[in-house]
Amino acid sequence: MIALIFYVGAALGLLILMFVLARPHRAPVEGIAHQFVEARGSLHTLQQGLLPTDLLNRIFDRRDLDYVNTQPSPDVRRLFLSQRKAISLIWVRRVRSEILNLMHFHRSHSRFHTNISILTEVRLAFDFAALLIVCRILETAFSVRGPYAAPRLVQSVVTVASRLCTASEKSLAFLKAPNTPDFRGDSSRGNATV
Amino acid sequence: MNLSSNQNDVIAAADDLRRRTLAHLPLALERLIYLASTRDYNTGLYHHEGLAQRYSEAAACEGLANCHRESFHELLSAPLEELVRQLQLYAYSIGALTSNFITSWKELEPYRVAVPVGTDPLAAEFVFSNLKVALTIFEHRLFQRSPSPLA
Repeated sequence: MIALIFYVGAALGLLILMFVLARPHRAPVEGIAHQFVEARGSLHTLQQGLLPTDLLNRIFDRRDLDYVNTQPSPDVRRLFLSQRKAISLIWVRRVRSEILNLMHFHRSHSRFHTNISILTEVRLAFDFAALLIVCRILETAFSVRGPYAAPRLVQSVVTVASRLCTASEKSLAFLKAPNTPDFRGDSSRGNATV
Repeated sequence: MNLSSNQNDVIAAADDLRRRTLAHLPLALERLIYLASTRDYNTGLYHHEGLAQRYSEAAACEGLANCHRESFHELLSAPLEELVRQLQLYAYSIGALTSNFITSWKELEPYRVAVPVGTDPLAAEFVFSNLKVALTIFEHRLFQRSPSPLA
């Protein structure tokens, strides 16, 4: 009998523990606005500044290198490669830093505000981790072998980063104001028209 | 920019600017330098007397800003070879001694203040870096064509 009471008590205790752990947590709304704004800023920087295809095609365009190779002076080639290497390093370091911002945002706040399935969370976690590792590898490759060292890795960074941006965009969608028509500016006093 | 303006006026002002003024500046580099020169360094606002009279101060300002961003984007998309060509043509067009032009552009880097507001630092650095290489190529060419009399 005592054993039965013990097992029932243990089972009840476990049930209560599972209920507490499984209960959806709500992040405190106060004081986290700046983290949303930061995440939105990172997303904007990635989408508008660091991942546009036309800019990346220009940075890693081999035609520039071919053109420089036709120049008689070796100084020109040296300068070009050092400049392009510096730009490539700026790019990959900034991508990594913005992705880190987004990852922190996801870890601390995003999942409390959006319905993300466990599978999606696992996939996101894998993408974040893989991207951060690939960024480090790319940084080393640029440092050691120059800006044209790993075009495929550049492409994979862009692909995964874009995918993470899309996921983050969904998490931050509620920050966007709904589509409202522009103010016409022809309202009469006390009679606003949109 | 905190001036408010009608969007149609902005589009009309920019079109007007493209037709009357920018059409005479075939190089994106020329347009970039010209449009940057219409911007007040202290306020960041653009000013063009004729456009402001025809449209409004605010529409002219936004129209100039749009054209400025356009020309920057053109320069950003230009391959290095094209940039060298534009730099050479620009240097010859201003009528200054080419060696003086190269020296002042290398030392003062005037193109750094010609970037539109809101440009991502990576894009700006990329253009500066390309201009630096283009200047070096131009300098080497010039040196090869006209060797020093003492050499």
